[in-house]
Amino acid sequence: MASFGTFLLLASFVLASGAFAASIAGARRQRTSLVAGGVGLFHAVTAVLVVASAIMIHAFVTGDYLIRYVQSHSNTAQPFFYKLASYWGGLDGSIMFWATLLAISGSAAVHINRERHRLLIPWVVTVIATVEMFFIFLMVIHNNPFETYLVSRPADGQGLNPLLQNFYMAIHPPMLYLGFVGMTIPFAFGMAALASGQLDDSWLRSVRSWTMVAWLFLSVGLALGGLWAYEELGWGGYWGWDPVENAGLLPWFTATAFLHSVMVQERRSMLKVWNVSLVIVTFFLTIFGTFMTRSGVVQSMHAFGEDRELTMMFTIFMIATLIISFGLVIYRLPLLRSRNELDSWASREAAFLVNNWVLLFSAFFVLFATMFPTLSEMVRGERLTVAEPFYNKWMVPVGLILLFLTGVGPLLAWRKSTLLNLRTQFAWPTLSGLAVTAGTFALRIPFWASGMCFALCAFVTGTILQEFIRGARVRQRATGTDVFTALVGLFARSRRRYGGYVIHLGIVLIFIGFAGKGFGRSEQALVKPGDRVVVAPFEIQYKALTVTQDAQKQMVTGEVEVTRDGKPIGHLYPAKWYYFGHETEPPTTEVALRRGPAEDLYVVLAGFEPADQSATLQIHVNPLVNWVWVGVGIMAVGTIIALLPETAFAFAAARVPGGAVTTTMLLLLLTLGSGSLRAQHVESGRTVAVVPRTPLEKDLQNQLVCMCGTCGRQKVGECTCTKAAEMREEIAKLVAEGKTHDEIVNYFIAKYHSQEVLGAPIDRGFNRLAWLVPYALGAAGIVVAGVVAIRWSRRRGLLDEEASAAPPANHELETRLDDELRDLD
Amino acid sequence: MDDGVAQVSQKAFRIVLTVVVLGGALGALLAMTLRSDAQFYKHVNEVMVEPQQWYGKQLQLHGTVVDGSIQWRPNTLDRRFQVKSGDSVVTASYTGVVPDTFKDGSEVVLRGKLAADGFHVDPDGVIAKCPSRYESASPSGK
Repeated sequence: MASFGTFLLLASFVLASGAFAASIAGARRQRTSLVAGGVGLFHAVTAVLVVASAIMIHAFVTGDYLIRYVQSHSNTAQPFFYKLASYWGGLDGSIMFWATLLAISGSAAVHINRERHRLLIPWVVTVIATVEMFFIFLMVIHNNPFETYLVSRPADGQGLNPLLQNFYMAIHPPMLYLGFVGMTIPFAFGMAALASGQLDDSWLRSVRSWTMVAWLFLSVGLALGGLWAYEELGWGGYWGWDPVENAGLLPWFTATAFLHSVMVQERRSMLKVWNVSLVIVTFFLTIFGTFMTRSGVVQSMHAFGEDRELTMMFTIFMIATLIISFGLVIYRLPLLRSRNELDSWASREAAFLVNNWVLLFSAFFVLFATMFPTLSEMVRGERLTVAEPFYNKWMVPVGLILLFLTGVGPLLAWRKSTLLNLRTQFAWPTLSGLAVTAGTFALRIPFWASGMCFALCAFVTGTILQEFIRGARVRQRATGTDVFTALVGLFARSRRRYGGYVIHLGIVLIFIGFAGKGFGRSEQALVKPGDRVVVAPFEIQYKALTVTQDAQKQMVTGEVEVTRDGKPIGHLYPAKWYYFGHETEPPTTEVALRRGPAEDLYVVLAGFEPADQSATLQIHVNPLVNWVWVGVGIMAVGTIIALLPETAFAFAAARVPGGAVTTTMLLLLLTLGSGSLRAQHVESGRTVAVVPRTPLEKDLQNQLVCMCGTCGRQKVGECTCTKAAEMREEIAKLVAEGKTHDEIVNYFIAKYHSQEVLGAPIDRGFNRLAWLVPYALGAAGIVVAGVVAIRWSRRRGLLDEEASAAPPANHELETRLDDELRDLD
Repeated sequence: MDDGVAQVSQKAFRIVLTVVVLGGALGALLAMTLRSDAQFYKHVNEVMVEPQQWYGKQLQLHGTVVDGSIQWRPNTLDRRFQVKSGDSVVTASYTGVVPDTFKDGSEVVLRGKLAADGFHVDPDGVIAKCPSRYESASPSGK
């Protein structure tokens, strides 16, 4: 299997080169058959990579430890879910995963736009195939994930790094990769537009929505990374300006800038060079970010090791990208001239321009600070570093400026705002901002650390609400429905605008979460059982220390009792876990978290002494952090609204009877309010792994999974949360009652209304399908490859006929070129 | 045509001026904050050649914890240990929680200031470092 995998990688490289050659030739010679061939070959690359991924996943699931990569990133004890996640848990696999995602999204983009942007397609394929070739080349030459052990086959794997065995960590990389990979598509379209000279605004439309999708994934990916750090690393924060984090943030800045400035180009035909440059820079930064984290150029807590060869290859690729893309921009400068000038600084386009500068500066600053140690070593021969305070000193004011602009932008009119205009627009938002400022002073909240941020949040919320209310009122008068229905109609009419406002609302919430940091408190203490630590408004009493173990790890758990304002609110169990087989590595820190809308209580067992039961506790009170995650969620909703196809909304707006929306919303609120939120995965630690008394009990503990919903479907016998303990007791009880295996399984299926409780689906009937997924993926890939090959060879005759239809478009291009050239004189 | 050129050059001049003024101002600010926030990243043996020179300067000190040198005062979080690299050894003092990687023989980076009686580590200034296992310690290009 492994050698077949390697063969597939080689094949995909050959196919990608073919796609590249056919597309570039097709584009230059205007030969439709070549173009179709290039597209077909590109789809074939995708199919082959999907097959290769299926083989890799298969190797992980079945535990094929002959493959080095599988051996070093997985083992048999690992839960199924993390076996899958191990695929992208290391360098080689992550590059392969990346290449596969790029191929899939590239194929999707090419397929969707095949009619709309006929002339761009060959160039788009050329660009994506080039990037694809680079990554496949890296794999084949340098990091082949299918490399095997030559001498003997190890009995078991080393296991995925325990730190990565976390629910968020497993879904965070795919999100982030989709974001990174997604940025290649706009770049490909931008390059295609430059290369073909089709620089009217039509290419922007597809680029914009692709950027939005990638941006969404990037934002969510960054947030999940933060959430992981917060829950798993145990230092009490979620963002530490680590180079690897910064690498994800850099393209986020430039992509955000692009999403704003592209509106200026659509409305006013300005900033063309700027926009195309932003697309290029964003793509460059995704590659640069990958380079930074994988080559060891920058020292980081969690970068991959140092690698000179990789550095060379990346450097060559990045320099070539920059030269070719900016070369094309310069070559096409005549076609990229603005049709308009900035009329006034009190206009929306000016606000966007300032927002762009600030965002670009942020990207530049973060890049500079991240590279500073490397740069200083190169220039002065002496390593100088900068830490979090330096970043915060700069990025906090910059963030506040951005927040302010978020509020100002929508208040200004395009072209020029009049004074009267300004007065009516700014009155309410400014008032709400001032009111909150007064409030923060009354509550003695430090102004510079948090108060100002709150005030700006109020200002921005004011502007957004004002927009919603005014729009809804106008629509209500026009259509005569109630306010909420009018509001939905508003969204239906201009999804992008109001979706954008929802995103801004999410940003406001995120900033509220940031501001909470300004009055967070933390405390460290060495405690003996019975000792109390006060971190207002909480009081923590340390109770005891226990040591337990299960199949995967040994656990040291502290127990503390928490009271808030004198009232007891429960027990928390911070712990340290020592994974078997990872004895040389430090244990993982299992934070005890008590979440709340106002603040989180975050307790870490930093050290312990079993002899005298003493422990070192680190306690953080983090006000308002959860609003960061809620904000990102709302941002995602806003982005999806903006992305929804026209028809979906038109349909909804046409069919929904007046008043229905209000009723629905009330119902939704009611159901949401009553339903409990997803349970937090709290490790109890007290539960000594219940030893199964009969073989049947042991079987069942291995077949059923914990249903708490957050521990990544661990086997009941291995999971350590209270829910699993409950389930173990339940199993023991049922076995004692003399129930058979099937009866007990059915009992659990009935109890949870699904077969979800089963670790592996019952290998019978319909359930066999679940086992078939990797095979089906592989088969689908082969079928697609075959179909493409057949269609491609059959179509040639047909396409030659179509080719005769091409000249008119060509003629159009010539006339436009003529026009543009005349303008130059 | 001349008019156009004049207009273009006037515009270019305005742009250049804006860039120079803004860029200069930001650059100056950056240099100023860097002066106060940048920390030297040194190995113990680099610093101990001429220790007086480094007294009072914000440092990140890289070295290995000397085996058996870690001592702590009972019932407190005060610790005292020795860090070496090459032939140089320095005594460090620290109060607070240490990362799990901190033990005899582990590689550490300490943030703090050097004085005549040894290296004073800042609060939370002990940074975990485990160079051998980075590969798997890193998931992704986050």
